[in-house]
Amino acid sequence: MEFRLSYVLKLLFAWIQVIAIAQAKSSSGSKTLIVYDQRVTALEEYSVVFNSLKDRSFDIHYTAIGNDSTPIELFDGESRDYDKLIIFPTRSRHFNRQLPANKLLAFLNNGGDVLAMTSPDGVADNVRVFLNQLGIYPSPKNFVLKDYMHATDDDNSLLLSSSSILNEHVVTKGNYELKYKGSAALLDNSELIIPVLQAPRTSFTEDSQKANEKWTVGTQGYAAVSFQSLYNSRVSWVGSDSFFSDRSSSPNSQFVDELMKWTFSEKSVLKSVGGSHVHLSGLDYADVPYKINDQVVYKIGLSEWNGEFWVPFMADDVQLELRMIDPYYRITLVPNTSTDCVQYYSSGEINLPDHHGIFTFSVNYMRSGLSFVSERDVKAIRHLANDEYPRSWEITNSWVYLTAIYSVIGAWSIFVVLFLGIQGRKDVTVEKKNN
Amino acid sequence: MAESQALRWIQLLLKCTIFLFMTAAAVSSRLFSVIRFESIIHEFDPWFNFRATKYLVNNGFYKFLNWFDDRTWYPLGRVTGGTLYPGLMATSAAVWHGLHKIGLPVDIRNVCVLFAPAFSGVTAWATYHLTCEIKDSGAGLLAAAFIAIAPGYISRSVAGSYDNEAIAITLLMVTFMFWIKAMKTGSIMHSTFAALFYFYMVSAWGGYVFITNLIPLHVFILILMGRYSTRLYSAYTTWYAIGTLASMQIPFVGFLPIRSNDHMAALGVFGLIQIVALGSFLKAQVSWQKFKTVMVVSLIFLLLAGVCGLFALTYFGYIAPWTGRFYSLWDTNYAKIHIPIIASVSEHQPTAWPAFFFDTQFLIWLFPAGVFLLFLDLKDEHIFIIAYSVLCSYFAGVMVRLMLTLTPIICVCAAVTISKLFDIYADFSFWSDKSLEPSDSSNKTKIMTLVTKLTVCGSFLGYLYLFVYHCTWVTSNAYSSPSVVLPSRNQDGSMALIDDFREAYYWLRMNSAEDAKVASWWDYGYQIGGMADRTTLVDNNTWNNTHIAIVGKAMSSPQEKAYEILRQHDVDYVLVIFGGLIGFSGDDINKFLWMVRISEGIWPDEIKEREYFTPSGEYRMDALASQTMKDSLMYKLSYYRFASLFNGIEGMDRVRGQKIRDEDVGNLDYFEEAFTSENWMVRLYKLKDLDPVGRELHSAGEFERKSARSQKKRIVKRPSLDLRV
Repeated sequence: MEFRLSYVLKLLFAWIQVIAIAQAKSSSGSKTLIVYDQRVTALEEYSVVFNSLKDRSFDIHYTAIGNDSTPIELFDGESRDYDKLIIFPTRSRHFNRQLPANKLLAFLNNGGDVLAMTSPDGVADNVRVFLNQLGIYPSPKNFVLKDYMHATDDDNSLLLSSSSILNEHVVTKGNYELKYKGSAALLDNSELIIPVLQAPRTSFTEDSQKANEKWTVGTQGYAAVSFQSLYNSRVSWVGSDSFFSDRSSSPNSQFVDELMKWTFSEKSVLKSVGGSHVHLSGLDYADVPYKINDQVVYKIGLSEWNGEFWVPFMADDVQLELRMIDPYYRITLVPNTSTDCVQYYSSGEINLPDHHGIFTFSVNYMRSGLSFVSERDVKAIRHLANDEYPRSWEITNSWVYLTAIYSVIGAWSIFVVLFLGIQGRKDVTVEKKNN
Repeated sequence: MAESQALRWIQLLLKCTIFLFMTAAAVSSRLFSVIRFESIIHEFDPWFNFRATKYLVNNGFYKFLNWFDDRTWYPLGRVTGGTLYPGLMATSAAVWHGLHKIGLPVDIRNVCVLFAPAFSGVTAWATYHLTCEIKDSGAGLLAAAFIAIAPGYISRSVAGSYDNEAIAITLLMVTFMFWIKAMKTGSIMHSTFAALFYFYMVSAWGGYVFITNLIPLHVFILILMGRYSTRLYSAYTTWYAIGTLASMQIPFVGFLPIRSNDHMAALGVFGLIQIVALGSFLKAQVSWQKFKTVMVVSLIFLLLAGVCGLFALTYFGYIAPWTGRFYSLWDTNYAKIHIPIIASVSEHQPTAWPAFFFDTQFLIWLFPAGVFLLFLDLKDEHIFIIAYSVLCSYFAGVMVRLMLTLTPIICVCAAVTISKLFDIYADFSFWSDKSLEPSDSSNKTKIMTLVTKLTVCGSFLGYLYLFVYHCTWVTSNAYSSPSVVLPSRNQDGSMALIDDFREAYYWLRMNSAEDAKVASWWDYGYQIGGMADRTTLVDNNTWNNTHIAIVGKAMSSPQEKAYEILRQHDVDYVLVIFGGLIGFSGDDINKFLWMVRISEGIWPDEIKEREYFTPSGEYRMDALASQTMKDSLMYKLSYYRFASLFNGIEGMDRVRGQKIRDEDVGNLDYFEEAFTSENWMVRLYKLKDLDPVGRELHSAGEFERKSARSQKKRIVKRPSLDLRV
């Protein structure tokens, strides 16, 4: 039953994939909701970004936030209504009640991707609390990232070098300058956070109304931060809405494009086609369970989504762990065969440990910026059966004992034969004499 | 001649009828548990034996012998085939196959349930023959009748109590019977049979060590008393050689007979008897004076060499030192201090005095009398019985469970007493005695004698009647509960069953993934394996103290630490037994101190027993309980939501008679309640997944609670964070 169910699911998945390839470019759905505050954001200013999204067949819905406080539903019962969510800076006080932070978290934990923007003009409470839960602390309202060394002359925008982009999987480095005007965020030490754009050394974030209130100083601050949850759903935060606008399109468009592609799972998405392990002879665990010191081969196939197709994923740092509480082996897998869409990695022959127990074959490929791949298989490795040890005569050391045993047995039987034989004759003669 | 022939036939017929009735009594009194409850496997260990038997029946002996069980002791697994005594399972599998061969398709469960009662009949038969060798067949019949219904033996052999002891007592008596016969006659056949049954015993129960030591002790005493004979020599050497070689074929025993101190006495006596044999041969050859000096010198030399050798070999590790269980036999406090895991088992506690009377009734005071009577005509075989009595009386006083090995010998000695008594007082032949002249005085004496004899016989018949009554009462009331299902009474006094264990195990079986791992205290390991068929971390085969201590540590640690430990071991569910609602005192909170002690033994820096008591040294659960206690996982899992059954603020724990405050229990952030049985006896919790956005589960829980209260913070403060690296 379970098997059949998984089969149906696989079919369904494959079918969804076909549709996805034909229409959308995200690996995980394309229904997008854009939430904006009419008082802060004029949507016309973002036509470049929206057109680019539409070109990539995203299905865009808009919700404007006004003075009413009707809740924004991201879920229809248990199932998610939207796949992506873009939140523009908001000033509305109702927004917090319309879409509370725990709803946002639930959306993320259900596999939805979120692109959140804040700006010195609008930091909604719910978005702030949501980001705080992830470990991102955007500067509050009125705090502005300033840097007198890297400012443009016209509107005090910052010029950030794209060569200092921190994660190549999210946005590739380049030789152009990004125009940034907005806030900055502090980050905590969560390993799921992927810093993308760092504030320059000479920058600081300051309250534009109260003097000497600082949020970040120097490279503490970040202008763009990404985040990937353990379930591979993604969040990006940028501290500026004007960064995406048509006006800054010419310097920023490449960065914005790549950041949005990453956030909406259009790139750097990995999947495994399943790890498997067999005896060196090719026999399966189901045929012959493993015993200690057996030789086995582990194989796993990895694919990467390039925006249109699944292509082979190449890496030299995929590792297999064979563990029973602690790892017994940690082996770097080497690329083996590949097909059009899958690269297979193989461990070569592994000598199973000389220790029986229940072991886990696990590949846990977690790289910042790539989606996490985790494959686990728990298998028992049994001890040697009573007839699988070498026979006594095959061990040269035992020859001493074998010789001893058989010489005693031999001597004993000779003794018995002689004793009985001699005694018998004596008895007869004694009897005769007595008679 | 023909008359005596007829008499013999009548005697045989009578004997057969008596045995038939005795077996019927033995079996039927053991069926109380089936009638009161149902045909179910009892307690804890029998569940493992049952599971192993099923495996044997389904997979055959070869697979059973090499069975690697990956569903217990996760992730270590258990080399089950090599770490169990297969005698019980092999026997019942043989019975099952036999029944199938003759066309009786009986379910293996029924074979297992009825196994112990069936073997109790055999025990009676063996006891009869043993006692016949000691006294006569009259005493034999009495002994057989006693052992058939003595509660001390029934306690481990009611229907459903499918434990090693069920077959082991039978084998013990058979082995001893053959040993006595062999020792009396010097028959190699009988001592071979003794060795073979000894082998059977080794394959069935770890208590075989008792035989391994008792028979050499018997021989040793006989040698010391100067009663060495060639009969003794041939009996002992045959038994020892065949028995030891055979016992080494059991994988679990392996080389123990030549490597463990428990077996050294048998080896030593084997050596000694060779020397004594040589000595007696020399004695026949040389003069007495010369022999005396040779003997004294060589004896001293040998004794010294032997003792030194033993110490040296033990010191250098060639011979395993005495096991902890053995030490705890001599010093009842040893286990409590050094090996809490042994002391934590209730059946390893010293016996309370009333238990002796409870288990054997009037046999207990006939027992010393019997031993005294045996002293009167001190034959070789009587020395055996005396040695057995003395040793076992001591052991039974030290450990409750060894009551079981004492019971047979009590039955034998008491039977000797009563039969001796009846030999004298039930002898009414004087009435028809013609040798005395009929006179007034002699008539008066005759009547007085008759009255005395009738009084004594009558009172003892009364005692016997009371004994039967007591045995039946004890069996039906004390020893027939399966402890899987608990009896209770409704408010109107009608009988009700508390079936929480099976309810919870069934839930687990139906609702959890097939490879789900369940962490619980080791007591429930076998039951989870047997009834819920789920992987356990630890079970009643307590072979790995550290692994048990890990579970103990998880239970005694605060939530977040416990979560870490349990997650490391891939645990999916945690099971606790909680008796506070219905007043079931054998629950986990009452066992909790043992968990603390066992884990303290491994991690003395992290777990400290003292911290679980109140400052005044009390073991409390209410508001006064220490903070460590309130933080511990066991406390939280036991009392989670408990107050909600009462007024929501505090709940009444009926076992400890204390009020549990809800605020002390607090929130469960790392676990979620999966199932709680009808009477709250079994509580199952599921480990939560890691937080997908990487928060500590505690702060995730705090966040959830805060957003439920919808508290809003207007003022945004700069967080104080560590430098990001």
